[in-house]
Amino acid sequence: MPAVPTAPAILSAIACNLDDQILTAALPLLAAGRVEAVEWSFDTLFNGQSLPNWFAELLTAYGEQSRLVGHGVYFSLLSGRWTPEQAQWLEQLRLLAGRFRFDHITEHFGSFTGQNFHTGAPLPVPYTATTLRLGQDRLLRVADACQCPVGLENLAFAYSLAEVQRHGEFLEELVAPVNGFLILDLHNLYCQLHNFNLSSDSLLALYPLHRVREIHLSGGSWEDSQVEQGRQIRRDTHDESVPDEVFELLERTLPQCPQLKYVVLEQLGTGLRTEASQHQFRQDFQRMAAIVEAGRGRVSGHQPNAFQPPASLPAGSVAYDEALHAQQRQLAQILETAASYEEAQQRLRASSLAHTSWQLEQWAPYMLETAISIAQKWKQ
Amino acid sequence: MKLSKALLGAVLIGITAQTTACTKGGEPAPKGEKVTKGSEKKTPDYCPGCGMG
Repeated sequence: MPAVPTAPAILSAIACNLDDQILTAALPLLAAGRVEAVEWSFDTLFNGQSLPNWFAELLTAYGEQSRLVGHGVYFSLLSGRWTPEQAQWLEQLRLLAGRFRFDHITEHFGSFTGQNFHTGAPLPVPYTATTLRLGQDRLLRVADACQCPVGLENLAFAYSLAEVQRHGEFLEELVAPVNGFLILDLHNLYCQLHNFNLSSDSLLALYPLHRVREIHLSGGSWEDSQVEQGRQIRRDTHDESVPDEVFELLERTLPQCPQLKYVVLEQLGTGLRTEASQHQFRQDFQRMAAIVEAGRGRVSGHQPNAFQPPASLPAGSVAYDEALHAQQRQLAQILETAASYEEAQQRLRASSLAHTSWQLEQWAPYMLETAISIAQKWKQ
Repeated sequence: MKLSKALLGAVLIGITAQTTACTKGGEPAPKGEKVTKGSEKKTPDYCPGCGMG
């Protein structure tokens, strides 16, 4: 009887969604057996789009080998109000988790800007006891729905340096009750290093690397600031190849993450429309996989953490906070409708967010400008 | 991870069919404008997730 191959400790993966550009770019890698795991953004199909059999078979094949992970986008973990859409999201996740064998499920930090908080783009929330309570409660509910480990991804966006410096610590507090883990998105980290002039060592030291089970790699783009002449903002647009600096971050970070299991290359299909960009995607994957291969033996000894959630999950009603909801609505409306940075600044100073835990008085002007740009880009 | 030839074949046919179906169902392009294969399809917008997209 042939021996069943043992899975490597760290798997090189791609973000694999129902997108013909991504799949066309990835097909040669899949055919060569190079893709060791796949990550699927399962909730992009919650809008009624059906799942073709061939794609379901691909997910099943990886799931049967415990090499399928789910990455949610639209749950809006930290919105103040608990909505019917969030309840429905959990129910759909529960159904999907019965159909596919996910090794874990992840979501993003933040709250969406859109009218019902499930469209738009996620932006940060204040690090308070209220937002901590909401996030912890909802992560436990996600774990209850999927019956597997759950994790959160670090956000690329921050309004201020103080926020960047507390992000890792707050993420750890959020996932602790569910024994959850972190996705460390290295391009998100790269955005913060550039946008706030930080060194990678100083920023990495602020993250609970012992809780990192997954790493993301992607590309992005530069945008000129209008409010600060000469400044460029790094944005996580997922539409370009992976910069050298992000590969270097992977080489330095990987040995410091004893629980690391997945390293995932993410790129948006819209950035893969040409043969040259698809070729570059495969080159990026090969480079990533080589770093993972070389790093497998360099991860320091550790006590394995399977990140299994606790048996007892929250009973009773879901946590919510109407005051936070009102502030988020006010902020989203200002960001989505302000005709200029100056107008947004003026309206924010007159809003209920002024002189509160939002600390908008400390927001970097060029990051408020970026928030306006993001909110208006994804407004629907 | 090795995938079966049957599965890889199904994926290839699936991608081709998906692209063809979208092209057939797409809006006619203005005269003289070249349509890039697949570009007329609305791509699911799963990019905003990381917050700087």
